[in-house]
Amino acid sequence: MPKHDTPLLDELEKGPWPSFVTDLKRQAATKPECWDILGQVELSYKDRITHWKHGGIVGVFGYGGGIVGRYSDVPKQFPGVAHFHTVRVNQPSGLYYSTENLRAICNLWQKYGSGMTNMHGSTGDMVLLGTTTPNLEPLFYDLTHELKQDLGGSGSNLRTPSCCLGKSRCEWSCFDTQALCHFLTNKYQDELHRPAFPYKFKFKMSGCPNDCVAALARSDFAVIGNWKDDIRIDQAAVKGYIKGEFPSNGGAHAGRDWGKFDIQKEVIDLCPTGCMWMEGDTLKIDNKECTRCMHCINVMPRALRPGKEQGATICVGAKAPILDGAQFATMIFPFVNVDAESEYEEVVEKIEKIWDWWMEVGKNRERVGETIQRVGLPTFLKVMEVEPIPQHVREPRSNPYVFWQSEEVEGGFERDIREFRKRHAQ
Amino acid sequence: MALSTEELKAAMIAKATKAPKPQLYIKDFYECDPDAKPRNVKNVANDLVKEGKLMFWSSGSTTMYALPSRIKNEETRDKAEEDK
Ligand code: HEM
Ligand code: HEM
Ligand code: SF4
Ligand code: SF4
Repeated sequence: MPKHDTPLLDELEKGPWPSFVTDLKRQAATKPECWDILGQVELSYKDRITHWKHGGIVGVFGYGGGIVGRYSDVPKQFPGVAHFHTVRVNQPSGLYYSTENLRAICNLWQKYGSGMTNMHGSTGDMVLLGTTTPNLEPLFYDLTHELKQDLGGSGSNLRTPSCCLGKSRCEWSCFDTQALCHFLTNKYQDELHRPAFPYKFKFKMSGCPNDCVAALARSDFAVIGNWKDDIRIDQAAVKGYIKGEFPSNGGAHAGRDWGKFDIQKEVIDLCPTGCMWMEGDTLKIDNKECTRCMHCINVMPRALRPGKEQGATICVGAKAPILDGAQFATMIFPFVNVDAESEYEEVVEKIEKIWDWWMEVGKNRERVGETIQRVGLPTFLKVMEVEPIPQHVREPRSNPYVFWQSEEVEGGFERDIREFRKRHAQ
Repeated sequence: MALSTEELKAAMIAKATKAPKPQLYIKDFYECDPDAKPRNVKNVANDLVKEGKLMFWSSGSTTMYALPSRIKNEETRDKAEEDK
């Protein structure tokens, strides 16, 4: 029996797709507080303002993150959600679960929380929605002791690192994303569980430039698989595609008849840097002009593959709109080796160099991408000790001044002032 | 010369006691010892939390530090409002 009338929310059950309203009503049969979620959200739809407050002090002992305090600002009307904290659980790399583990998580949350979940939040965490302060410690105990799982990051912590499924299933992966994600998660446990920075910091790892975890858009430090040498071409398979022996895009667009495959129109003319052409029936690529957009590889996966000399490109500074507009990450390190044997030395070195600088120079609540914007890319490259290359340049210069550093000028900026005045005396 | 850990802790507590607002950003503590590395100041702040001398205060997206005696949590505040 519904506790509140929810005519506005009920509209959301009428479409052909699954509805969280239906889910909440179903869940309310065992967890009556779900009625109060519905009631409060309905009120928000009416008032056109959120009735969730957040902030304050809530967490488990020893941790400064992983639990996000949520409170209703109309608790008398909706006592079931007066306290309704969110718990972030660190997801497994690549999001692989056994059904047994998923059941255990659901049982745990049915016991200590509302039973409502969000798989997965934008940090990748399993998000468990809605519990009270007294339930937090027992939940945390069972999570860590029985399920052997841990909380993720929140607040000014390192946020839970996340990755694409990488080499476990994808032939395009240029490094083992899951291994790096696991390594960084363990290495930076302190930063993950306790506030460490002026603001949040996120790592995400994608095995190739298709960037299935959208690291480029969503992380401060995006490690994106890349190769140094040439795209591998199987010319026989190229001919096979031209003859129509293989479906393009692995058959992904087979739902409609697009006509005969046309390599010129569908691949060569769409290459953003115009670096592909046919010589007779042989496909040629001017690899030094390839911008790694992945288009040709995606269209003809049997014929084209990433090169063999594999590693990653690191892009820094993506963020959602907070103080300023949203932005993508900027390519900073064109190529690094991602090498488990050296404990990912090159990646770790770059991370810590950025942290040391940002903790010092970044303002409160300023993401590293905003700090870079404020000081300018040339300054940031200098701090990172990266030689600028053409790929760092986004547009022709609009600033007419050239600033020289003292060491770039013969004799530096020191001069003998007396000598100068002698020559210029009137 | 950087302060010793004990001196830095004392300076940080003094700062958290005197600051106009109870919640401080980690960066607000840097000036307690301009010679200390920011990551060291962070570690000391987190140690003070472990010792119960400071506490975390989170806005949800940013975590700040506060002296426990200067801050009321949401639940005691709710109760205070009810008792009014
Ligand atoms: C039983 C329920 C559902 C199943 C089995 C399901 C399954 C899937 C699968 C297999 C994908 C593709 C994932 C991929 O490409 O890797 C997907 C994507 C997606 N689903 Fe669902 N889904 C369900 C419910 C929902 C609901 C309720 C919503 C929203 C209210 C939703 C929103 C989306 C969105 C937005 C994407 C695209 C994500 C992206 O491309 O980045 N799904 N879903
Ligand atoms: C009409 C209702 C709602 C809509 C359309 C909605 C939509 C969303 C969307 C799109 C996200 C981002 C998810 C992502 O990036 O993967 C999100 C995140 C979140 N939502 Fe909701 N939401 C709704 C109701 C709620 C309710 C009722 C709660 C809690 C009681 C809630 C708590 C959260 C939390 C904690 C996150 C952050 C998760 C994270 O960042 O890891 N939402 N919501
Ligand atoms: S990002 Fe690349 S390597 Fe990772 S799953 Fe997607 S296509 Fe495969
Ligand atoms: S990956 Fe993109 S830029 Fe490179 S050759 Fe293929 S289509 Fe051109």
